[in-house]
Amino acid sequence: MLKSLDIQDLKSRLYQAIDNRVRIITAGLNLRELHNVLRGDPPEEKPNPRYKVHTTSFLFHIRPRYYEKASTIFTHTFRLGFFSTFFFFVEAITGIILMIYYSPVPSEAYQSILNLESNVPYGKLLRDIHRLGAEAMVIFVFLHMMRTFLTGSYKKERSFTWFTGVLLLGVTLFLSFFGYLLPWDQLAYWAVTIGTGMAEAAPLFGREANLLLRGGPDIGANGLLRAYLLHVVLLPAVAVLLISIHYYKVSREHGISLPAKYEEGDIPAEEKKNARQRIDFIPDLLTHEVFLTSLGIFALIVSIIIFGYSAPLENVANPQVTPLDTKAPWYFWWLQGLLKLGDKTLMGVILPTIIAGLLIAIPYIDRNPHRSLYKRPVAVGIGILSILVLVVLSYMGTPLYGIETPAATRIVQDLAPEEGVGPLRKIPFDQLQPGTYEVTGTVPRDLCPNLDFGCPALTSVFAEYSRRITRAINDPALPKIQRLPNGQAFLIIEDWQTDLRKVTFRILWDDPDSQQRKTFEKHIFIHRLRGDE
Amino acid sequence: MSRVQLEVFFGTLFVLLSGGILLWYGLNEPKRMAEYELHQRAKSIEVGAELYDINCKGCHGPQGEGVAGLWPPLNDRHFFTNRLTEVGWSGTLEDYIISTVSGGRLVSTRPDRYPGQGRPVMPAWAERYGGPLRDDQIRNIAAFILNWADTAPDRSTQMAEMAGPPTGTDIKKALPEGDPTRGEGLANTKGCVVCHISAPTGPAWLATPEQPGIATRAEAILTDPNYTGNATSAVEYLHESIVLPNAYIVPGFQAGVMPANYGDTLTDQELADILAYLLTLK
Repeated sequence: MLKSLDIQDLKSRLYQAIDNRVRIITAGLNLRELHNVLRGDPPEEKPNPRYKVHTTSFLFHIRPRYYEKASTIFTHTFRLGFFSTFFFFVEAITGIILMIYYSPVPSEAYQSILNLESNVPYGKLLRDIHRLGAEAMVIFVFLHMMRTFLTGSYKKERSFTWFTGVLLLGVTLFLSFFGYLLPWDQLAYWAVTIGTGMAEAAPLFGREANLLLRGGPDIGANGLLRAYLLHVVLLPAVAVLLISIHYYKVSREHGISLPAKYEEGDIPAEEKKNARQRIDFIPDLLTHEVFLTSLGIFALIVSIIIFGYSAPLENVANPQVTPLDTKAPWYFWWLQGLLKLGDKTLMGVILPTIIAGLLIAIPYIDRNPHRSLYKRPVAVGIGILSILVLVVLSYMGTPLYGIETPAATRIVQDLAPEEGVGPLRKIPFDQLQPGTYEVTGTVPRDLCPNLDFGCPALTSVFAEYSRRITRAINDPALPKIQRLPNGQAFLIIEDWQTDLRKVTFRILWDDPDSQQRKTFEKHIFIHRLRGDE
Repeated sequence: MSRVQLEVFFGTLFVLLSGGILLWYGLNEPKRMAEYELHQRAKSIEVGAELYDINCKGCHGPQGEGVAGLWPPLNDRHFFTNRLTEVGWSGTLEDYIISTVSGGRLVSTRPDRYPGQGRPVMPAWAERYGGPLRDDQIRNIAAFILNWADTAPDRSTQMAEMAGPPTGTDIKKALPEGDPTRGEGLANTKGCVVCHISAPTGPAWLATPEQPGIATRAEAILTDPNYTGNATSAVEYLHESIVLPNAYIVPGFQAGVMPANYGDTLTDQELADILAYLLTLK
């Protein structure tokens, strides 16, 4: 029996078996071909087995067989569409895991985030990735649209693809917006309150739209559940559908556009022909995608773990306390800016609708057949102008513009903001020497000569407090609301409990309107172990 | 090397690097999570301190010292060592605090020392029982109160700490000169403000658009035919209302709500100060 064992035969039969199995798994490639693919060598068998995969495998049949060489030039696409999709997958995967730990109920939501961050290994990282990925996705989707606009790739047969793209931009913004509410902190609650409040301004059905979104006059249990279901079910489903259509158009119908110069430029025919050379999906495009994916993952991990990006989490949502500086998510600042300019219905609903309509209609409005930047100065001019307007409007949307806060409130808010850390909370606990410190106009060099380690941080915060108070008292050039006539100001630090100190800001001034002496007081409790976010 | 090979090389490198960083991050996770929990506890105490300052200090005192005969101290050794046994509570002290704050106290557990025989003494604070606070806020308050555990002094001798002999219930008694500013301070520390200024549990002291202040109204009550007390002047009426609160009940209010033991807990001087303050509230 042993004698009849033919090692050679066995080896070749084993090889055959594995070879067959590999061909089945890869839907067409045998071992040798797989080896060639990984080395970047040309195919050996004929017909090219790498194309067969595209008909036998579902996942490959939705991918293109090849792209034309010039369309894959990096500076033409910047891989923006790829990364938009990449972040969609990142969001989907991290999102599904996050769903395990999250409960969409007001009394539990915030607690479940705290629990995720303090009790689940890699929990905080997961949330950071999901948040960073969401912000990145908005940026990449927007840049992708800009690129498509500037290279004139929305024209002719690609106008429907552009249409689905604009819809995807909308879906991305809404996905991000409703996800914003889920941590149920102050940041989330008020940003979404502002956002859904805009729906109320819609003509005819505004009240109903607002009720439908919030599930009540204010955002509560119903509103949170609605935002959650929109975020995890409806919008992702719509996104998957739209992405499929959008991508199918690109991969199976018209491909990625060539840079304009290869279509209409003044270059030799030879070069134009060369630009249309096929780059096969297997191995070149596939390897490139895998490479970009690993690069994307690496970039996410490095920006979070090495560069310390951290998803914001403010205090738990409190419908009774409107924060001083409320703002929408940054990608909606332009809308907030618009709202400051005029009527809520016109600026908040009608104008954005017109803008969305115009975006969709661009391929039909722009009848210029050329794609090159130089041959369409009007379109490019309008594009650049729109970006500038967007930036200016976004600036106007931040609290830096057009919001007047009374002097005392502003000064204290800047030193010890309601949310986040701020200069006061950055002072090391031991430097918060109990005592009453009055602003006298001269800034002391050292507030606590009795502490052997001194208190430079406390002194510098007090110096800043003094400087701003003194200016508000003395500078007649300031607008009335920023002045503190006859002002007096104190900083009081008290020992309150074990490892807990109470800091009081007290500011008194003569109010010119009511002719009375007014007092502003704010208490801040600081615990030794609070850490900074 | 071809482009494909370069990409395979760098792709592998990125994956390995990412894996390495993740591994290192994972090794640090237990420490990070423990720290996070500490910070969370600290923040909970900070928020609790703020909430306590707004909601609780009126009765239980800014430092949890309470008011003898009215509202029990919380920053008290007894509270941390014996309270659970005293009321026969089976859970932790935190549970006890959360439960008490949430549902309020319907009947006093120590009727010999604090009021509340058969009527609510402490209101319910949880939203679901009709109060103003959410559950997480009540947890924060509990965290703040529990932070007194290590330093709480023994307050069992507090009753004896009075600055002089108690004033008693004689409303005709000659009192020393009162100081309204000191009286205003006493109104805070003795807890008067809670029912007479902050919440409308008792007759409001301050003037409103509908009615003048308590001093002016005291004059008017003397001429009211339904008045059942013995006072003959506004100051005597106010004196009587403090030490013998049930001598006359203002229409619209209930008898027995105001503690009747101020005669035992105030000194002559303190009473005079409070009266002087009340007389300024026209």
